[in-house]
Amino acid sequence: MRPLIAAAGCLALATQIAGCVSRTQPDELFQLKAESAANRAMQTRGFETRDEAELLSASSAVLQDLGFQVEESVREVGFLRATKERSAREYGQDITRFLVFLLSSGASAFGGPLIILPVDLHQKIAATLVTKPVNSEATRQEVRVVFYRVIWKGDGAVGNQSVPPGEQRMEMLRDPVLYQTFFAKLSKAVFLEPFAL
Amino acid sequence: MTQRNVIGMVVAALLAVAQGCAAPQPSPDLLAPTEAQLKIRSVQTRSFDVKERQAAMRGVIAALQDLGFIIERANESLGLVTAARFAEPNFYDVVGVTVTVRPEAEGRMTIRANAIYNNKPIDDPKVYQNFFATLERSLFVGKQ
Repeated sequence: MRPLIAAAGCLALATQIAGCVSRTQPDELFQLKAESAANRAMQTRGFETRDEAELLSASSAVLQDLGFQVEESVREVGFLRATKERSAREYGQDITRFLVFLLSSGASAFGGPLIILPVDLHQKIAATLVTKPVNSEATRQEVRVVFYRVIWKGDGAVGNQSVPPGEQRMEMLRDPVLYQTFFAKLSKAVFLEPFAL
Repeated sequence: MTQRNVIGMVVAALLAVAQGCAAPQPSPDLLAPTEAQLKIRSVQTRSFDVKERQAAMRGVIAALQDLGFIIERANESLGLVTAARFAEPNFYDVVGVTVTVRPEAEGRMTIRANAIYNNKPIDDPKVYQNFFATLERSLFVGKQ
């Protein structure tokens, strides 16, 4: 009887813990982080122009050149959203998957589980771009572009337990070169030299 | 180890499961205005000294971008901005937010934000305080 009560107690405790764990405190979600300012600087450039619409249409042309499809655009607030989908396969991950498989198959001779790691299969890259007048006379405009990607993983297995495909994760692209390239193309398209803000 | 004991334990476990995560239960007067609703609305709403709706919307968009959101949709004539992001560093939880900008009086705008966390509304006032603090900063920087 005793162990049964203990087991029921454990079960009750476990359900309590599993039920109410919040992994990120929601009140931190709307708080600026230390790297927010750096990200902002990386993603923003200023242009000496009055013509916001021209800047926006040049931006959409550059995004199209980069293979994006424009999905949403609002001229009044200077907003564009564009996406493209590409394969996310990387050789490095396949090599790791193979090595882990090799090691785990060696270990499985001693009763360990056979591990097949899921690898990244597919990704959707999204760009949101916003133009905005910087000063009150609107002689200067700033362009801020943010690149994101969502990556979907393929399937894998640990022993008899299969890992289903479709696990996804999202990340902001933080490579400064990517943003520099974009702004270099944009400045060529509008015949203007960008300046950092 | 009688049958009664087993039933008792099952009931106890069920109760534990049921009360584990006290989700708000839908009540019969679901559409009636309640005090909690009024409270949440006042938490979600704030007015700012901004003359134009466009300027306010640009401020909202800039603030959301600063916070790492992807702007999904914007509608100028309705003053509507919708954005979402994953609750990094974990990628299972999605945060969505809808912000509406409406003229309140001459030179003032009412801005209302509704945030959801995994399709559940966020009713923690602190979250909205943080959002409006960021928004205030971005409106202020944008105006200079």
